[in-house]
Amino acid sequence: MADNGSNPLKPDLGYIAEVKDLGAEIKLFSVKLLNGGSEQFNYYHPGQFAFLSAFGIGEAPFGIASTNERSDLLDFAIQRLGSVTTGLHEMGEGDIIGMRGPLGNCFPMDRFQGKNLIVLGGGIGGAPLRPVIHTVIDHRQDYGHFSILWAARHPSLLVFTDEYDDWGSAPDTELHLTVDQPDTKWDHNIGLITDLLERVAPSPENAITITCGPPIMIHFVNKMLVEKFGFKPEQNYVTLEARMHCGIGKCGRCNLGEKLVCVDGPVFNMEEVGQMLESYL
Amino acid sequence: MISSSSGLNELYSVSQENLADWLDRIQSSAKLIAHQEVGGILLYQPVSDSRQIAWTEARPTLSSKDAFFPPTEQLFTIQREGNNLTIVESEPVGKQVLFGIRPCDAQGIKALDALYLETDPADNYYQRRREATTIIGMACREMAPSCFCTSVGGAPDDSRFMDLMLYRGDDHYFLAVITDKGASLLSSFPLKSDLLEAESAAEQIKSYIPSRLPIEIPNQEDWPASFASPYWDEMSERCISCRICAYVCPTCRCFDVRDQLYPSENGTQVFERIRCWDSCTGTAYRRIAGGHNPRPEKGQRLRNRFFCKYYYYPAQYGPVACTGCGRCIDACPVGVDITEALSYVAQRGSLSDLDRSGA
Repeated sequence: MADNGSNPLKPDLGYIAEVKDLGAEIKLFSVKLLNGGSEQFNYYHPGQFAFLSAFGIGEAPFGIASTNERSDLLDFAIQRLGSVTTGLHEMGEGDIIGMRGPLGNCFPMDRFQGKNLIVLGGGIGGAPLRPVIHTVIDHRQDYGHFSILWAARHPSLLVFTDEYDDWGSAPDTELHLTVDQPDTKWDHNIGLITDLLERVAPSPENAITITCGPPIMIHFVNKMLVEKFGFKPEQNYVTLEARMHCGIGKCGRCNLGEKLVCVDGPVFNMEEVGQMLESYL
Repeated sequence: MISSSSGLNELYSVSQENLADWLDRIQSSAKLIAHQEVGGILLYQPVSDSRQIAWTEARPTLSSKDAFFPPTEQLFTIQREGNNLTIVESEPVGKQVLFGIRPCDAQGIKALDALYLETDPADNYYQRRREATTIIGMACREMAPSCFCTSVGGAPDDSRFMDLMLYRGDDHYFLAVITDKGASLLSSFPLKSDLLEAESAAEQIKSYIPSRLPIEIPNQEDWPASFASPYWDEMSERCISCRICAYVCPTCRCFDVRDQLYPSENGTQVFERIRCWDSCTGTAYRRIAGGHNPRPEKGQRLRNRFFCKYYYYPAQYGPVACTGCGRCIDACPVGVDITEALSYVAQRGSLSDLDRSGA
């Protein structure tokens, strides 16, 4: 983050341009910054996050779910879980919101070029992966074979369902869906994402995986990739979630040993994660 | 009379009466923070009259960090009228003078500087307080049983992080000018004093300063080997996660951010975004929305506190985040003692890998 003499803890103001229901207690907020907002938001990258303020309640970090190639709005997929997300869920189109960022590192998309990519998203963990998916689909020729493994506990918790046709019909792209608690209309896979992974059986040859989901899912997905399919840890990228209050390396909340999720991450490869003194689990 | 052209490390003799008079003059144009007894407890407190000052070299119960990093601090105010929202930055801070700061507390400020000033981006709130503050140190003439500053690079007469330094003699104080900031305070507020013959004055000061043999401090590279040890669970069994250790610590600096709402007036809603001290030994410190807590056990949390001070913080920002003030040892209601952990890690670190695997 550039030090332009401004106060990095002071949010920019924006308004909610659009709200869409994504699933049970999950909404997609599209935010437009007021007065052009911070110029830094013109140059954000897949994997970065921002703090959203529900003024009067507080602020919390969320992965940015859009790309600035596709949209001049910033998208956030938000599940109602705590006080800030509840406050955000009560807001509607036109309401004023605070935003700080973009923060953290990003997926090294340029280094993924020419590679076969396997993206694994679990529940709301799919949100920060959407910019990766959009980037790959919008520059399809720059990447190798593309597999999307998309999971949730229940069909109502699957995010971005209205985009699955686009994703699945992109050239050389396969989309696999699974839930472990199907409803009567469900006609895709049933089981955990690791069951799906076992069936898809990706080759580690010239491949990169990118996973986001609950810590326990990240753990078992990466264990299977390494032990069963022969991936090296450095081929496997993850984005980690942590409680944080500043996003700029000051508040101390998000440390994993001597690493800070906010400034050293949130994107890590599993080689780096393995070298950390403390577990993310 | 000392002028701003004074060379460094010249020593002056000052009477307590003249110091008091000087502080009263300073107090009329800056916030003066000095030792004060409050309900029988010695604290650094704002004073409006030098007669409130407790002239003692005892260690105050709380550190001086709140002069730069208050327990609760307003980041900004938000005014909302309908959908019109204005963020109002908090008021600029005025000049402040800290009087009688202990060397361990000044070393704590130095450690906080590494994070809040020297690591990009600087923290605006800390920075403006730091720049507006002049630090007048006072050497310790006694060490509390829990003090171990001499083991972590400090000393009872350490003047490195002060702007001016005082040493109490038998019937007067010795004064040394350490920085330009200190010299400038003296030029704005002249202090009646006499220049001393430096060498003999320094000898005299030395005779008042207590010494203590250092305890064993692990090397930084010794820490990782102890991380997975069952020791942390055992030593933390009695911890009640009360967080007083962080509250009294001169370097603990984690914070929480929240909004505070005030009753609305004439249709205008006003609230403040505040930050407040927090501590990694608290139960919910790392718990995220949805309930996952990567550090659910007391042993993991207390281990994080000690590793942060001696391994993570130095790796991230440079200085060790412990100044040996011993306050956490005295404040802990159940007798958790950081020096026991230091000794454990040091001894374990000195074992060879072979010995360790059999231990």
